Amino acid sequence: MAEEFEPRIVAFLCKWCSSAGCDLAGVSRMEYPPNVVPIQVMCSGSVSPLYIFSAFNKGADGVLVSGCHPGDCHYIKGNYYARRRLNLVKKLLEYVGLEPERFQMSWVSAAEGTKYTQIIKDFVKELKPLGPQTKLRRDR
Amino acid sequence: MAKIDELKEEARKLLQEGKVKYIIGYTTGTDGWSAVPAFIRTAEEVDRIVWDPTCVHNLTKFLVDEKRRKSRSRKPDTRPVGLFVKGCDSRAVVVLLQEKFINRGDVYLLGVSCEKAGVIDDRKLAQKLKGKKPMKVELGDNGRIVISTPEGTLEVPAEELLADRCLECRANFPVVFDVLAGDKVKRAVEKPYGSLEKIEKLTAEERFKFWKEQLDKCIRCYACRSVCPMCYCDECVVDSVNLSVTADTSAEEKAQRIKWLQRSAESSENFVYHFVRAIHLGGRCIDCGECERACPLDIPLRFLNKKLEKEASELFGYEAGFDAELPALIACFRDEDPQDFIR
Repeated sequence: MAEEFEPRIVAFLCKWCSSAGCDLAGVSRMEYPPNVVPIQVMCSGSVSPLYIFSAFNKGADGVLVSGCHPGDCHYIKGNYYARRRLNLVKKLLEYVGLEPERFQMSWVSAAEGTKYTQIIKDFVKELKPLGPQTKLRRDR
Repeated sequence: MAKIDELKEEARKLLQEGKVKYIIGYTTGTDGWSAVPAFIRTAEEVDRIVWDPTCVHNLTKFLVDEKRRKSRSRKPDTRPVGLFVKGCDSRAVVVLLQEKFINRGDVYLLGVSCEKAGVIDDRKLAQKLKGKKPMKVELGDNGRIVISTPEGTLEVPAEELLADRCLECRANFPVVFDVLAGDKVKRAVEKPYGSLEKIEKLTAEERFKFWKEQLDKCIRCYACRSVCPMCYCDECVVDSVNLSVTADTSAEEKAQRIKWLQRSAESSENFVYHFVRAIHLGGRCIDCGECERACPLDIPLRFLNKKLEKEASELFGYEAGFDAELPALIACFRDEDPQDFIR
């Protein structure tokens, strides 16, 4: 029997909200797919578009950037900058023909463990029919 | 096309009075017909300056070199540099001013309005001439381009020869200048992003095929980076292996450096390089078309930059290079920025 495709998702989670939300999901023993590689960053605004391109280049099937809700940023406005910048990144990736589902962004607060698990569940569900991401992946 | 006699007179005066260090303009190249950048240092040389539809170059790039030269010299000459600017070039100056890369006092801008024409595309001209050698390319009175060849003159409607970017240009006269030649006539552009339509209407798979085919050609000569007035970083992320490697950087340290992308010209790496360049130019590119002109493999780089220009204008109502007082596109935000893509 052929093994089912398990997508690999790289998630850039901001330290103050989303990472804590992810942690809450963990300590509350909520179940969600183990396809995510969480990477803690100080702020969603510190996620350079290059991180995202590089993740795809190194074989990620999906990339998630998650930060605090607008107005809740620890650094007051980092997530606003991220929202603007990553919107352009999303448009660019779609423009060159990458499936729009592969790059996602979310707002997850430190109390939203359930929302986090739901986002991951949905993300994995959307990625499975797409198959492995080969368009931007390095061959070797 | 604008007459630049007055500008030349001004240039001569500036040089005689020593108000500028030198003037960067266009002169006729060694092939006898196409313009090349010229550095004019004395009043006598001013006669060499020309202005015709072959003045394609964006001379703003030289301001970046000038700044480097100034920062290296012990006793810098702080007089401004005279610079000939078209509409698009002047917007490049505005972006540099906006980013505080240069000061307004560093340049003396001799603006030339393209009026209703623009500059020609070499490739379109070559196709038109079918191997004949041009001797002079001028703009006629009736908005047609007159090409003199040894076999006689050829008159072509300007639209057939103008560069694509000129056909979509919305600022065909300088937005910032000290002296101006020509009239500020705004040309009506029906579809400022019309050229993108043929790519945008493709399906995702077709778009990917198109871009893969195009970017596979890239040999990573970085001509697009070298020619771009906005690419002024001292260290480019693409060359990250060079980042502060000193005599005592150990091999181990070097090995541990993050390599965001490889230098090899493979399609996956080329994609990352061109993404990075496109994103870095998002809200900064003023569509001078130099990257595409300099590309030895004819990659339609303009389509990448133009797309982000379009998104910036549609999503955030931002247009690059019109107001030096405004903050840059990704250095500001609004509460009501679209976020329908965020969960």
